[in-house]
Amino acid sequence: MKNVRALTPTVLLAAGLLVYPLIFSGPFYLDVGVTFLLAAISASAWNIVGGYAGQVSVGHAMFFGLGAYAPLLCYTLFGWAPIAGIPFGIAFSVALAVLIGLPTFRLTGHYFSMATIAVAELIRIYFGTWDLVGAAIGLQGPATARGWWDLTFRSELPYYFIFLAVLAILLRVTFMIERHRFGYYLRAIKAGERAARSLGVPVQQVKIKALALSAAFTSIAGSLYSVKTGFIDPESGFGILVSVQMVIIAALGGAGRLYGPLIGALILIPLQTVTNTWFGGGGTGLTFILYGGIIVLIARYEPGGVSELWEQVVSRRWRRKHAS
Amino acid sequence: MLLEAKAVSKAFGSFFAVRDADLFVDEGEIIGLIGPNGAGKSTFFNCLAGDAVPTTGKIVFAGQDVTHALPEVHARLGIGRTFQVPATFEDMTVLDNVMVGAFLRHPHHNDARDRARQTLELTGLKAHTDMAAHALGTPGRKRLEIARVLATSPRLMLLDESLAGLTPTELQEAIGLVRRIHEMGVTIVIVEHIMEVIMTLARRVMAFNQGHVIASGKPEEVVREEAVIEAYLGRGRHSKRRRPT
Repeated sequence: MKNVRALTPTVLLAAGLLVYPLIFSGPFYLDVGVTFLLAAISASAWNIVGGYAGQVSVGHAMFFGLGAYAPLLCYTLFGWAPIAGIPFGIAFSVALAVLIGLPTFRLTGHYFSMATIAVAELIRIYFGTWDLVGAAIGLQGPATARGWWDLTFRSELPYYFIFLAVLAILLRVTFMIERHRFGYYLRAIKAGERAARSLGVPVQQVKIKALALSAAFTSIAGSLYSVKTGFIDPESGFGILVSVQMVIIAALGGAGRLYGPLIGALILIPLQTVTNTWFGGGGTGLTFILYGGIIVLIARYEPGGVSELWEQVVSRRWRRKHAS
Repeated sequence: MLLEAKAVSKAFGSFFAVRDADLFVDEGEIIGLIGPNGAGKSTFFNCLAGDAVPTTGKIVFAGQDVTHALPEVHARLGIGRTFQVPATFEDMTVLDNVMVGAFLRHPHHNDARDRARQTLELTGLKAHTDMAAHALGTPGRKRLEIARVLATSPRLMLLDESLAGLTPTELQEAIGLVRRIHEMGVTIVIVEHIMEVIMTLARRVMAFNQGHVIASGKPEEVVREEAVIEAYLGRGRHSKRRRPT
């Protein structure tokens, strides 16, 4: 009985996401759905190191960007199917994660956050002048599909289900981490590094593993993005907005919770779509204002995000019901 | 010899918080470290736990040189510690707190949970299993710290004022708990201001003042030494539980 109740949200969520494109089959709604899934994947990937381990990276765009460039670079240079580039994106992202983690995780405080911003910006600027990767113009994928393996579809429907499958795998992995020693160690590090070490937690090693895993999935998110859009440039791959969006979505929904990023994306993406369509091109600046507003609200009123707010409401109602 | 600290000094800049401190602990002992605030007890303690690296000197645990080893290595070798200000994982439940400790020797979730539940029962925290650690209050959190360390199956337990700030009843319970842990075969080094704790628990005492070890021996003898009285107890020898300021 207890298991059935615990599974209810998962089943409802899965059912809702599977049925959505069948009900809202218009191209606009499909596009919102795909954007939502991509945002949920990126934020859930960020959540592993930023949420569970509390190591707030504000430069995850570097992994997203590497993942986004790899498929289109493989296509441009060798004429491969873009998806063949995905493993390269993962490999480079994991290597970069280890390279950044080794020196910065030794320091405490905000050094890690600062370092991630700096590295992401450096890579963005460098890619903007590097001819091999198209410099400021960026790279393009195949204009028309040479075969199914190019994953170039007219409709967004196939992308929707591919993204949904990746999200499901990522959440499954996160769920397993939660139950594992690794997940307990991540939460312990977030709660108090010194105490965690005194209990035998190899802090440095656990943090680097978390960052590498997070980087791998963020890289996949980037690859999915560029394979779908068939285009990538430094700003849409490595832009600071890409990093900030992951942080905001996870924090809004509930950082360090399995469904936190999903809930955050469920709120933010429709909201962002509304501001963008209402205000047209002028809505881009509005995105920043929206993000700023959300940061203020979360920091001031509910650091645990919407998930925690919801839990408080539920437990208050439960208590009232049982008091009477 | 379980733990051997030889001529340990720790300097911050030109200031020596600990100077030439020696400590020898045999398996199965309970040793008390006393001394006024700022005497260097905690710094010495941190050196033993691997939280601070001694400037000079050598620390050997169970035949292994641990002078420069990381705190997590100390834990793996069997040195557990508590903190003066409880450092429990506040948002995690009491059970999850203890499970983090239990995972050290039991990598699998269910084994660690069993070990943690068993430890909670032993430390009298069973009723609070699913409570968040921050809901416990200071005495409970101190007890939780002890439980968490105990779950790592240590050979040596370093208690840093784990019994301070308790009511007389809580204190008696806590002394009972430390005794039980000792009877399980765990060697204990305890830093404490409360003389009652030191006198009832410790077989051997070392007194610190201004970074130096000024006396060591049986508790009854140490408290009678002139230097200790001067440094720590002041002139009023009978104010046993007074904390020096």
